[in-house]
Amino acid sequence: MTEKDFWLNSRVAVVGAGTWGTVLAQLASQNCREVRLWARDEAQARQINATRSNDKYLKGISLSPKVLAVHEIERAMASSEGGVELVIWALPSSVARDQARAFAPYFTGSEVVIHATKGIEPVSLKRVSEILAEELPVPRIGVISGPNLALEVAKGEPAASVVASEFDDVIEAGQAILSTPKFRVYSSHDVIGVEWAGTLKNILAIGAGALDALGMGWNARAMLITRGLAEMVRFGTALGAETQTFLGLAGMGDLMATCGSPLSRNYRVGARLARGEALSTILDTLGATAEGVATTRTVSQFARERGILMPISEGVNSLLSGGANVHEAMEALMKRPQISEF
Amino acid sequence: MTIQDPPSSVPSGPLQRFSEIRPRVLDSVVERTLVDLSSSTPDQLLGEALYLERLRLRQTRTNLWTRGRSQKDRKLWGEIQGGLVRPAGRVDRKQLLEKAIRHFAEEIGGEFKPEVYRFATSALPYFFNWMFNAASLNHFMPWKQKDLLHSQLNIVGEIDHLRRLQQKGTILLVPTHQSNIDSVMIGYIIYQLGLGPFSYGAGLNLFQNPLLSFLMSNLGAYTVDRRKTNGIYKLALKNYSTAILKEGVHSIFFPGGGRARSGAIESKLKLGLLGTALDAQTEGLIEGRERSSVYVVPMVMSYHYVLEAGSLIEEYLAESGKHRYLSIDDDTFDPLRVGKFFWKIFSAHSKVTVRVGKALDVFGNLVDEDGRSMGPNGTTIDPKRWLTTRGELCKNSQRDREYTERLGERIVERFHADNTILSSHLVAFSYFETLRSQYPDLDLYRFLRLTPEQRTLPREKFMMRAEKHREALLKKSGEGALHICPEITGGVTLEKDWVSEGVRQLGQLHDAAVIRIQGDEVTTDDLSLLYYYRNRLAGYGLSLRAGELKGQLKGAHDRKGFLA
Repeated sequence: MTEKDFWLNSRVAVVGAGTWGTVLAQLASQNCREVRLWARDEAQARQINATRSNDKYLKGISLSPKVLAVHEIERAMASSEGGVELVIWALPSSVARDQARAFAPYFTGSEVVIHATKGIEPVSLKRVSEILAEELPVPRIGVISGPNLALEVAKGEPAASVVASEFDDVIEAGQAILSTPKFRVYSSHDVIGVEWAGTLKNILAIGAGALDALGMGWNARAMLITRGLAEMVRFGTALGAETQTFLGLAGMGDLMATCGSPLSRNYRVGARLARGEALSTILDTLGATAEGVATTRTVSQFARERGILMPISEGVNSLLSGGANVHEAMEALMKRPQISEF
Repeated sequence: MTIQDPPSSVPSGPLQRFSEIRPRVLDSVVERTLVDLSSSTPDQLLGEALYLERLRLRQTRTNLWTRGRSQKDRKLWGEIQGGLVRPAGRVDRKQLLEKAIRHFAEEIGGEFKPEVYRFATSALPYFFNWMFNAASLNHFMPWKQKDLLHSQLNIVGEIDHLRRLQQKGTILLVPTHQSNIDSVMIGYIIYQLGLGPFSYGAGLNLFQNPLLSFLMSNLGAYTVDRRKTNGIYKLALKNYSTAILKEGVHSIFFPGGGRARSGAIESKLKLGLLGTALDAQTEGLIEGRERSSVYVVPMVMSYHYVLEAGSLIEEYLAESGKHRYLSIDDDTFDPLRVGKFFWKIFSAHSKVTVRVGKALDVFGNLVDEDGRSMGPNGTTIDPKRWLTTRGELCKNSQRDREYTERLGERIVERFHADNTILSSHLVAFSYFETLRSQYPDLDLYRFLRLTPEQRTLPREKFMMRAEKHREALLKKSGEGALHICPEITGGVTLEKDWVSEGVRQLGQLHDAAVIRIQGDEVTTDDLSLLYYYRNRLAGYGLSLRAGELKGQLKGAHDRKGFLA
């Protein structure tokens, strides 16, 4: 069977029926036989199947008939006709480990897993692909990341993303299943870089939201993005990532999309903080996870311990912890000693 | 753990029928190597090999026992050169290539003669035991033997599991490699554990000794000549290993390639040969063979002293420092030095500790009692599933290379966890690191040139720090990061003091005192040797500047060039 025929005949499970999970299921449905979309909430699964749209997370976008929402993981992973070939993991990083543990028995080992989470495990600093490898009996794991504001992709606006894995099997699956005429998928072997790029940019998205809310202007935002990217590269390469990955879709690309868009949750958190709302109120009313909040704390602490220079992340951290307001944080950044750019 | 009496008869297994399977194995090596090479033109392949082989033959010195091999090599390459200069229409290049491959295959492949095995397993232990007993004068006469080698050989670990798995599939034993002695030791260990014969990928240097050469070539060993760097040879060697593993022949090779130059546990493995485990199992599964599983069993040997320590560490320093070139040739297997080693083992009561590690599958997963691969969270892994790509059980070079890389990483982890730290290693480490803390700014090469006065430490200070290091080590061992010998666990008791015991053992074999305690002072006559023994504890994050390193510690150097 040729590569194309194989994937056209394949089954895909998407674990997590949030906004991005639902969009990925919709993309996959164009390239495979069947998509099972697992939702934690039974009522939500029923609602999706009844109205052919995900009213809670992706209102107004109608889903392909090939997408079947399920509540039991058994039904997501296998049917009477056979198991799934690709699992797309679209859960928040905070539940990655527990869910993987619970789902481990339902994996057979031949599935390819691609996760779409932009976050890391607090304290251990483990990337989601590492967590999945530790908890699932599956070796072939990868990540998809890029400038992909879910709503725009759902509406069919053009976009691109990158799938990274050590295994070509994973890259092939990602490109075959997720590419559409409006969605381009690039490949990479730098898993560490792609995962960290997607994670770290959330810190800067919070910062960008704060700057914009106070109307600090384009120069300020450009400074934040560029110097923030330098921080991302410093941190990433210290952990084994390749520099060029940060110049790509998962790094620079994602930064540009999230740092300027009110569609980004992390950006909204930053903006509301700057307007003086309390973090707890914001998180309670956001309606979805903002990965950047936990990431900022974990990353700043690690960078401090390892002596990695990350003044902007440090500033965002003090903003989040209430240690400084935006003006104070900015002042502290501007007052730093004069140094060479690179 | 019990060590049974070795069986008196040759246990049955594929290696015992080796004369039957040998032609089949060699044919398959030739056939597969030709297929593997089909994408390149024979002219180019042969041209490269010819050049490298001529270079090697010019540089290699031979002795009486290896001359035959070299002469055969010369003859072959003479013929190939003759063929290559004639037009392609007259001389079939593919035939020339096949000839070269068959030449290599014949050279790699050994024989197995049951009568030699019977002789070796009955006479040699007797001889060994006599030698060890002779070192203690009371038992000089052969009939007065009391202590046996295995009383000095402390074999621990997953021995029963290894025996069980031997019935379930094919074993690939992968030991750490410190000394030429290892080969003899391993032979004895295999015999002592009653495991039956193993095929053994042995370095060419072992064949330089006539007795060993005779035994090895008739006991199923195959030759690994690391000096042959041409692509044809490397492929033939890999294909040989795959072929015998597939036939169910239990095998051994050193995954690190040569002996560890630095004295540290191997942190980088040769993945080419290691990958033959996965290849053999995949092919077995595709062909639907029974017992197609290959189990990779790490084994770590710990010695108080290593014969070649001096030359190995000099070579290591010369290579990594690139500041001077030393020509050292200790690769010959000198019976006198080997004798001295074993004599010391007995006369100085130096136990050799050998730990058989937990068995891994070809992907690096641990396997359970029944040989099933264990996944996380109580899952069982079906290897066929991991070997399925696009819905089909198949080989896939990119995927398989990645699996083998992970297997290599897991073996390195297991090597470190299965390492048994002896009192001598700890005193070497402790003394070296204490001395280093006096000169924290020196890099390795400056440090190794400290004058005798500068190398001396007050005894009290050393003892205090040694106790601190011992505590750190106990903690590591509690975490399962390594094992420590009972002397260290016991600490300083009335009858035993681990520091003096360590210092005594450490000095045994070398002319220079590695550590000398004189009155109130402790000193060393050879810092490089000390560094060698100290490195046994590298990779655990215990050294002075290890904390400054980010990420992987195993095999890493700190800012001053010391192994971390």
